[in-house]
Amino acid sequence: MPNPLSAGHLHLNFPTHPPPPSQYALSLLRPSQFPLAVIGIASFCQTSTLKSIYSQFNAALLDIFPASNQFPLARTCFVFEENDIATNLSASNDLPGVVIIPSMMGNKRLYIGTLLADLCSQILGEFGVVMQALESPFGNEYLNGSLLAALPPLSELPLSLDSDRRGSVPNFSSPDVLKSDSASTSIPPMKRNSSSGPNYRLGVQPPKKRLSTIGVASSHARLYKMLGDFFLLAGRTEDSTIWYTEALQLFKNSQDHAWHAAVLEGLATISVVEAWSAGHGLHNSTTSSKEPWSDAIEKLTQATTLYHKSPLYYEGESIYAPLAYLYSCCVLRHSSLLFAVWSAKGWGPLAFTTMLQPGPKAHLPPTLAHDEADQWLNLERLTKYSGISRSSISNVLGQIHGPWLLHLHPRERLSILTTMASVYACLGYKRKEAYLLREVLGCVMDLIVCGREEDGITKVSGPRNTGLGIENGNITPINPLTYLDQGSVAVRMSESSLGNDSVLRILKQVCKTIGIDLDAVKLVHASTQETELAESSQNEASTNDDGSELERPETYGWPELQVGVVREAVAVAEALPDFPAVAQFALSSLKTLQTVLSPGDQHHLYSTSMRAITTARRRGDSKFFEYWSGRPVVSVALAPVPLVRLPVEKHLSVLSKQKSDLTPIIQGITDPFLYNPRRVTAKKDQEIVAQNEVLEFVVVLQNPFIFDLELQCLSLSTSGVKFQSEPVRVVLPASSFHQVVIPGKVMATGILTIRGCFVQAPGGITQEFILPLNTAEEEERITRRKSALICEAERYKYWGLESLPWEKPKRSIKYHSSQLNPRTNLRFLECKVVPEQPLLRIRRTSVNHGALMLYEGERSTLRITLENISLLPIDFVHLAFDDSTIEPAQQALAEGAMSSSDVYETEHSLINQPVFTWNKSEGRLIPPGHTLSLSISCFGKSGCTNGNVHVSYSYTHRTDLEKPSDYFYTRQLSHPIMVTVYPMLQCQNMDLIPFPSYMDYIQTPSTTTYHNNLGVDDGASWCLFSVEVRNVYGSPFEVTFEREQYGTSHSSTTTTIPPGSTSRVVLPLRRTALSQEDTSKAIPTLSDRQFVVAKDKLSTAELHLQRELFWYREALFKSIQGYWKEVGGTRTGEMSLRQQRMTLPMLEAFKSNVARVDLSLISCDLPKENTIDGRRVWKANEFLKLKVRITNLSSFAIPLSLTLDLEPSDCLIYEGVIADIPIGRLDEGMTREIEFPICFLTNGHFELVAQVRAVGFDIKPAKAEIIAAVRS
Amino acid sequence: MSHHLFILSPADSPIYSLTHHSTRAAASTVSPLASNLPTWSTSAFAGTLTALSGASSVAQHTPSGPVKMGGGQDRHVIQMIANASLDAIEDVMRKENAMYLRAVDKFNEWTVSAFVTPGNVKFVLLHEAKNDEGIRAFFMEVWEMYVKAQLNPFHGLISSSAFDGRIRASAKKYL
Repeated sequence: MPNPLSAGHLHLNFPTHPPPPSQYALSLLRPSQFPLAVIGIASFCQTSTLKSIYSQFNAALLDIFPASNQFPLARTCFVFEENDIATNLSASNDLPGVVIIPSMMGNKRLYIGTLLADLCSQILGEFGVVMQALESPFGNEYLNGSLLAALPPLSELPLSLDSDRRGSVPNFSSPDVLKSDSASTSIPPMKRNSSSGPNYRLGVQPPKKRLSTIGVASSHARLYKMLGDFFLLAGRTEDSTIWYTEALQLFKNSQDHAWHAAVLEGLATISVVEAWSAGHGLHNSTTSSKEPWSDAIEKLTQATTLYHKSPLYYEGESIYAPLAYLYSCCVLRHSSLLFAVWSAKGWGPLAFTTMLQPGPKAHLPPTLAHDEADQWLNLERLTKYSGISRSSISNVLGQIHGPWLLHLHPRERLSILTTMASVYACLGYKRKEAYLLREVLGCVMDLIVCGREEDGITKVSGPRNTGLGIENGNITPINPLTYLDQGSVAVRMSESSLGNDSVLRILKQVCKTIGIDLDAVKLVHASTQETELAESSQNEASTNDDGSELERPETYGWPELQVGVVREAVAVAEALPDFPAVAQFALSSLKTLQTVLSPGDQHHLYSTSMRAITTARRRGDSKFFEYWSGRPVVSVALAPVPLVRLPVEKHLSVLSKQKSDLTPIIQGITDPFLYNPRRVTAKKDQEIVAQNEVLEFVVVLQNPFIFDLELQCLSLSTSGVKFQSEPVRVVLPASSFHQVVIPGKVMATGILTIRGCFVQAPGGITQEFILPLNTAEEEERITRRKSALICEAERYKYWGLESLPWEKPKRSIKYHSSQLNPRTNLRFLECKVVPEQPLLRIRRTSVNHGALMLYEGERSTLRITLENISLLPIDFVHLAFDDSTIEPAQQALAEGAMSSSDVYETEHSLINQPVFTWNKSEGRLIPPGHTLSLSISCFGKSGCTNGNVHVSYSYTHRTDLEKPSDYFYTRQLSHPIMVTVYPMLQCQNMDLIPFPSYMDYIQTPSTTTYHNNLGVDDGASWCLFSVEVRNVYGSPFEVTFEREQYGTSHSSTTTTIPPGSTSRVVLPLRRTALSQEDTSKAIPTLSDRQFVVAKDKLSTAELHLQRELFWYREALFKSIQGYWKEVGGTRTGEMSLRQQRMTLPMLEAFKSNVARVDLSLISCDLPKENTIDGRRVWKANEFLKLKVRITNLSSFAIPLSLTLDLEPSDCLIYEGVIADIPIGRLDEGMTREIEFPICFLTNGHFELVAQVRAVGFDIKPAKAEIIAAVRS
Repeated sequence: MSHHLFILSPADSPIYSLTHHSTRAAASTVSPLASNLPTWSTSAFAGTLTALSGASSVAQHTPSGPVKMGGGQDRHVIQMIANASLDAIEDVMRKENAMYLRAVDKFNEWTVSAFVTPGNVKFVLLHEAKNDEGIRAFFMEVWEMYVKAQLNPFHGLISSSAFDGRIRASAKKYL
């Protein structure tokens, strides 16, 4: 035994698992893969005997390592004694390999160290034994017998080997292997021929000579390689170098690639070990042009190539798996060397530490163990220090990957894939890591599924899908549930869910790299649900407020890949099985990948998630999901309350105010301004609803998915007064908007605020979606936000993996704007709830079928009976009417394109001739259950087709309220009435004509016929009114026109007009004069409309004329009224002349002259009068007097002048001037007479005309004429 | 011999993709390790593995007859490889100024060449044989066509059949 306290290094590796049986074939090619010794640890107590422990140890050993294998070479069992047990130490002598460690012993550490050293020397001894066996010709044949040589069974070896086995042990080298001994460096590289140098102490002779004698058929290359291997394991690098070099020479010409490569690998290892032992690899070769590790790299590259082209068939046996494994290991060795140097910032102690002791976590060197290690800068720094680029490591590592991975046994494949993945992860190659992790998952799942099938529980029938199962749109049928469907009962043998979490974590990692957040839909535990809910509602405003979750304008990641990975993820979770995870994954992907998922996928994911939720629930899972389908609620609105029930708010003061009804009718609106900027804002957002009445809210929901979406529970989220409603269950049809009506009742008065909706999906938690009102600033805010986001979205500030949405919050740069801040004051839909209101209905009306038939101008009455059907009295009833003529008239007025006289006509017809009127005094209190009859008078207005009776009612003076309010609420009842107005009499061709003036000279007024018939005293101050009346109806009517004029007697004319005929009605009318002030007044407007500048530009004269016409027309209509009466019936009505025009000649006829002129001839001498045929006859050459009598008819004093026109003028003589004779100012009604001497010179008829004009006024002169007959 | 071209946006979303089967024969250097893979697929996950590892010509025997699976031509796998190669591309493009990144990555049998436009749009080409000058010329033409297509404010790249046709013509010419 050597000195146990001597200094040195002993590198022991404690593997956690025994090598799989598949690797036994490699036992000679790669002895370092196998455990060389086994240490058993037992505790010894009173009840057990040492023998039983020993047999137990052996049995366990046999279980792990089959007897046929030569490994382990050494074995020992440390039996730890428990307290105060007297042990029979002597027993240990009988049992080889059992060491008893007494409990009393101090310094156990040292003792165990010694024991381990002893074990190592045992191993070294065994190396010799193995070598001896191989050295024999028989052994060498075995060694060269197959591609992966196997050790001959011990039974076939010559016995002599076994006999001197004990003896050879002491000859072995000291156990302080790998000791940095100075001798090794001092020895110069030996020549090949002297390879059997002093270090060769195995007792074999220099190989070449001796072996050539025994193994005739086979070369000794493999034997030399084995020697090199064992020397390397024993830590004697010089010896192993010698033997390796020897072997290399022999292999150069052979085709034994695998062994050749193994030698190269060994040499590479030696170079690393030597570098380590030489002053712990401190940099002393900075001058050398080559990197210190390039030698090893070169050898490894060579080895890789050799493995790669190594023939697979060797004398009839195929050995894919071991070769693929060796190849992979070699590449892995290569890349891990590079990786270690890279991660240790260069060739140095740290690199060796990394290679030897991987640290607390495998494959994570200390330089990469901190948080920010995966940042590009940090990774590049390592490259800068080490001179090894990450891509070069990746390129080397990438060589492993290939179809040959399939040859490997699952465990090896798994370990190689995980190693690769972790190296890629350390390099910062996330996507490559994801690729490999997918394979790792495939591998793990394969094992899980296969393991399950081997239980014999689940028999899978039918063809399996091959490939990724992604291209053809089918999902892999690995799903226990589908087995259930087939009728067989699935029994889960293994309930263990250990490791499921890790598998799911890997899944999430892969998906995150690809750009899918599988945690997008969070799982919430049932117990925390309430608190979560409270919190979420508070955060709501900040997160969920953007009414429209702005549709993501850009996609990130690779949609096709994402879909494939997601489907795989769901399949994996199903196969585990982890039902909450299945549902979570499926829902998350539905939420995040909705735009790229095909209909089939959407269906599949949805049905899978629903199934999984049900299963999980059945199995007692208490987790719930967040709401996942985006934002289902689009809008909430109060369904319009039926007009009958709609309360209208009115201030109490309107009751006392004396209202003029005209204005609203004229304008249709109450606003005196044509344009009122405040009117828009005056509209309130509040709807008024009554307490204790059913309200209906219309909720518009959207389902962007291709399947029918079920919402377990949908209810309104309200605040303010108590609202009673039942949650509803809704199924939203696929990809559509859906309307749901939620009824409810408000229980108190006040303000009811509808914040939004509570939505709950099956298996999910209830989530509130708030719906603020879209006010103007809100709209603008959203628009701004949208455009800001779109603007940002198009800019790729970050690319690749950094562009993923969950990476963004980490960045500090953000677009800051006050517009983007979440709003602080949210406004919601509000309802003002007012006290309970009475309800009225129309019980009956006197109108049959709601249709009213009238003759034009007819007046009739209809009765309407109202009934109070509520429990509250009604103390206010008001009727308002509406008919089809009002609106066009209002519109025409509003357009303002009419002349002022037309405006007057229209307004007149609106105000003075409404279709319906009622008597206000009829409205009175209606107690609950009582009725009230109202009569409405109707007027047959032409053009009216329908009308409405609006009944406003209210319980105004309430006694049931605690505090009186300033407002009261009215409700309205509307009763539409069809109106048919038959036009039957048409007035046309209205005319006014003066009396014929030629009659004037008939100087016997008392005897004239028209005086008698018409009651006209004097032709000059009368005119004739005439109008044609046409009966266009089927029955005769009696038409009466009446004259009602100041200063004249009442007069009327009546005719019966048969159907189809026209009759002219004539009525004398006294000419009237309106004062200047009257006629110069502007045409009035009946309403107090805002003044509009007249559009038609009229001159002063035209304007004056227009006004005169207007006022005289009004005067005419005032004095003439027309009535009709049904012949043989009772229906009567008015006739309107307002359609008739008044022309200028008519005006002249109607308007009385400025003065009245009477002419008369008076004989100077002869009292006797000479008449012929009743007419006065004058004599020629007789002096006469022409008397002109002038009376001022105007209403003020005017100066007048007189002009006489005497024809034929040359046949008479007169005195003085006859033109412009001043008469002087005459007061109103004053008369003056002027006499002219005149003498007719011949016989004949003379025409004497007098014209009186007002001086200084532009008034038509008054005229009078007489004809004098002269006969001698 | 086939080529796969992907035009990727800076957010790694494919804007355009093309699979081109070249008439030139591939210099197939199949490693003995990769030949004669076992009939090995007992579960769907094994299928995933087979496909991802790029195993070629594996006949899967199902009752309906042998089904060819994997073969390295699985579209999804091609996409995975193109996506994974972005790691290497990003690494190189941060350090080098060149737009054309020749054989920037190798995976399974595929060599990946890339072209990075100034707007950070990446053209990723998966090819099997070495054809440096051809690929460079192809990339330059694709770039020109891409820029021209981008100049049109009314047309997206994906929907343009003219773009597709020209790329195909160019691929025929150079690859």
